[in-house]
Amino acid sequence: MATFDVIVIGAGHAGSEAAYAATQLGCHVGLCTLSPDTVAHMPCNPAIGGTAKGHLVREIDALGGLMGRAIDETGIQFKLLNRSRGPAVWSPRAQADKLQYSNWVRAKLREIPAIEWLLGRAERIVVEGGCVTGIELDDGKRYHCRALVITTGTFLNGLIHVGRESWPAGRAGEPASHHLAESLKKLGFTWGRLKTGTPPRISRASIDFSVLREEKGDKEPVAFSFMTDKIAPQRAVCHLTHTNKQVHALVSEHLSESPIFNGQIKGIGPRYCPSLEDKIVRFPDRDRHQIFLEPEGIDVPEVYVNGFSTSLPRPVQEKLVHALPGLESAEILRYGYAVEYDFIQPTELGRTLESRRVPGLFLAGQLNGTSGYEEAAAQGLMAGLNAARQSKRLSEVTFGREEAYIGVLIDDLITKGCLEPYRMFTSRAEYRLLLRIDNADLRLTPRGRAAGTVSNARWERFVARRQRFKNNLLLLNAAKVRQPSGQRVPAVQVLRQSQQTLAALQKEGAIQLETATETEPNEKNLDLISVQTEVKYEGYLKRQRLEIERTIRQEGRRIPYGFRFEDVPGLTAEVTERLRQVNPETLGQALRVPGVTPAAVAIISFCLERPGFRREAEISKIGEGNRLPQGT
Amino acid sequence: MFSTEDTIVAIATPPGRGGLGVVRISGAQAEEVTSKIIERQTALTPRRATLTRVGTKSQHGETTDFVPLDQVMVTLFCAPASYTGDDVVEISAHGSPLLLRAIVKAAVEAGARLAEPGEFTLRAVLNGRTDLVQAEAVGDLINAVTPGQARVAFDQLQGTLTGRIGEINDAIFDLIVRLEASLDFPEEGYHFVTDVSAEEEVHGILTRVETLLAEGRRGRIIREGRQAVILGRPNVGKSSIFNALCGFDRAIVSEKPGTTRDLLSEVVALEELSVTLVDTAGIRGSSDPVETEGVTRARGAKHVADVILLVLDRSECLSDEDRWLLEETSASPRLVVASKTDLKPEWSNAALGDISGAVVDVSVVTDGGLIDLRRRLTELVAGVDNLQEMPQVTNIRHINLLELARKGLIRAVQVAQAKESEEFILADLQIARSALEEISGKRTPEDVLARIFEQFCIGK
Repeated sequence: MATFDVIVIGAGHAGSEAAYAATQLGCHVGLCTLSPDTVAHMPCNPAIGGTAKGHLVREIDALGGLMGRAIDETGIQFKLLNRSRGPAVWSPRAQADKLQYSNWVRAKLREIPAIEWLLGRAERIVVEGGCVTGIELDDGKRYHCRALVITTGTFLNGLIHVGRESWPAGRAGEPASHHLAESLKKLGFTWGRLKTGTPPRISRASIDFSVLREEKGDKEPVAFSFMTDKIAPQRAVCHLTHTNKQVHALVSEHLSESPIFNGQIKGIGPRYCPSLEDKIVRFPDRDRHQIFLEPEGIDVPEVYVNGFSTSLPRPVQEKLVHALPGLESAEILRYGYAVEYDFIQPTELGRTLESRRVPGLFLAGQLNGTSGYEEAAAQGLMAGLNAARQSKRLSEVTFGREEAYIGVLIDDLITKGCLEPYRMFTSRAEYRLLLRIDNADLRLTPRGRAAGTVSNARWERFVARRQRFKNNLLLLNAAKVRQPSGQRVPAVQVLRQSQQTLAALQKEGAIQLETATETEPNEKNLDLISVQTEVKYEGYLKRQRLEIERTIRQEGRRIPYGFRFEDVPGLTAEVTERLRQVNPETLGQALRVPGVTPAAVAIISFCLERPGFRREAEISKIGEGNRLPQGT
Repeated sequence: MFSTEDTIVAIATPPGRGGLGVVRISGAQAEEVTSKIIERQTALTPRRATLTRVGTKSQHGETTDFVPLDQVMVTLFCAPASYTGDDVVEISAHGSPLLLRAIVKAAVEAGARLAEPGEFTLRAVLNGRTDLVQAEAVGDLINAVTPGQARVAFDQLQGTLTGRIGEINDAIFDLIVRLEASLDFPEEGYHFVTDVSAEEEVHGILTRVETLLAEGRRGRIIREGRQAVILGRPNVGKSSIFNALCGFDRAIVSEKPGTTRDLLSEVVALEELSVTLVDTAGIRGSSDPVETEGVTRARGAKHVADVILLVLDRSECLSDEDRWLLEETSASPRLVVASKTDLKPEWSNAALGDISGAVVDVSVVTDGGLIDLRRRLTELVAGVDNLQEMPQVTNIRHINLLELARKGLIRAVQVAQAKESEEFILADLQIARSALEEISGKRTPEDVLARIFEQFCIGK
């Protein structure tokens, strides 16, 4: 029987990153998927990035992950969002050619000999002595592993709804996974049910684009990956249309046939991605809503109708689509639908995304209640990385909220759990000004190198770039520029004026900095932006760093796993219950658990010092036999 | 959550008058704060008591003005060998509660924060200096950091300070919601907030904070020092006594009972002691005294007032209400004032039973007894100093937090004027918000997002 260091179930965005990261640490990886055709598949909108999500992609890339390079290679329209604002909220977004994207990732994984493809349906998780030891497929074959990463997305008990019809399935016509769901539930995990939906796909040839507004990408596209020199010319445009009175009337008329409104759907959908039905019911005052028509690829006939997610019956969808300007005679290639699925409450997980209930079992992606390819990929990377490190008896690698959006993501998930599909937003990051796309590599690449996910090629490139950054910082701080009055003043002083830029100073020839060459526009740009930001916004950055220093001690006070919250005097039953569910690892995390007051944390910190509590905590740690001590 | 990293100060000795009193400063900046409030220029030697003077320093160009308060012994204990495990400075002064309070205030002005109840103990626990403290000691903290009974009572009597802070914080929150929305949802086709309106709105909020602070400094809203509340049934002369103590006609005095409808307050100086004197509407007669609003007031007063002045009309027979008030306030530090002694007396002190010794006779017509009243009030107030780790000091805390909010808002206005983008305005607004949320309750990023999704149709 084959034994793997790590087995990954699922090869979507989370599974691909997990498998890839594990191989970077030299692991022998079993990648279990139903079909290689759906590797890194995009069942929802054909785009990567967006506000805060673009940050996640940069961070994944800085750690050596796949997503950034994949979209740079296969993107067909790039746009930097929030360009008119400060550098902390610039977020790249790109339309992907979804076929090419999937092909690129599959090819990348296929060229790695350490990955063995286990084609089939995973049916059962094998647990021995309280720890994961392997999986069993539907053909009865068993595979051993030291660590298991499950990334099955919306497949657990997936139920698709179109009108009054519903049938069990994962996304995009793939079968649902019941046995695996049962196997997970038998282990005792807390789970819930969520819902999401997609819009209809339209044949491109049947759309009258002449009446629609074009939405073009940036002339000088900004890449996601730190390894990309230059993005290929833009190959696609999107189009903007709007809903109208006729659409709104149709939706109102057929509302009782919508599974969201007739009680058929029990799962909770995301508020930031409402269905067409939701939009019209909840915001009756708006007379129109934006609809973007997005190509799904260069050679793909399908167009994605972004903003038009619906699960109304097919004949109603026909009428709705035809009521949209430009789509009067459009042909629907696939109908919109809603999908309900089971997810595991991520409060079951620790910071490495390992489940506390079953050591050796890691969960990542939509299974944990998130939505979005980027959120999934980020978790996949962290789970794969830590599963690999565990199998090799190395210490865990995690990020704090002050270090990365990935840290914010995981801390939110494991501390607060999910009531709706979780999406990243910049407003979730309290140290937003420090967590920028221009310093994602400076923040994370050294960490990735130490963790084992950063290749030699990336490291060499990074070391040179970091040296330029340091040199430029010194140069800029020492530089003086001549004012129109003839006076020479420090360059930093000029740069801190509100609308002043480094590029402008360079153009005047006032400052010479070290940068990459013209053939590497992305890197050259990065060289300028990262040093400009550090200098221009120094005051803000200092303040946020000071704030981090203030909170770090509390954050650093660890609560041992198994700590008996129920024995802490004075806590309400509700607070105790929440804490028992979440098992916060530090006092700082405990304070972020919903409903937990500062006073409650003060009492807990007090009890942490008492020998009685400590002893109890150590006894209940016995079940974690294969857990490794911190910092080994 | 208050920080466990900054430097805190409080009176360490038990309340009341004693020969000596100790002010304790704990935290990384303990030595620095101390250096700003003592005369001695050179560094303190750890664990050695140093004789010097404590006071307030102000800088005028090259020269430093020092206004001394008292001669004191100052001792520095370096971390970790101190009571709390932080750097600690203990200032041993003469035992007047007023003096100790002034030292605390100077330390706060020099950068320390007023300690929360139980906070020294909490730090000692955090630093592993104490291991056998009762959980109840930390339990006190719960009552102080969550809006407890004391604060509710405070609001009932004192107007709506926390209510007004809450309203200001709501306005900040509402602006934060729209600024965050413009950052996270730039392509939704909404203009959540414009440059100009952001600047105007921040400015409007700043004005409200400054108004509140100005009122606070005048003592009208935020209570400054001890609080003396004047109680009594209508038309017994409460407002006249209030005015006499204030030294000018602050309250409208009229023959008509029930003239004082709202609470009036004024800071008065009694010797060197500042006292907020609060005049209440008269406790109106009713067949069932428990039903009246005055009862609620009097009950609220018991929670909030440091001392109560109960005014009884010497020229009228004692009523049931008078007797009820006597009974209700009997457990509080109290001065019974018999008014209108220029008229024919209708009752003698013997009618009051046991408390007759504490009655002051006053006539505002002849000024008779006013000097005695001031003296007795001063004694009473000075004797009930509660500045040590008690919730009563929330007023100073409120002012400090409002000041912090003000600083953040001033910067936010400047940033908005410079046309910097939303995330920079937000960075400063968040500082104002987190300061005010220490008073009005915390909101999370989830609350911001929930409000965005409630108000705007997001999701293309």
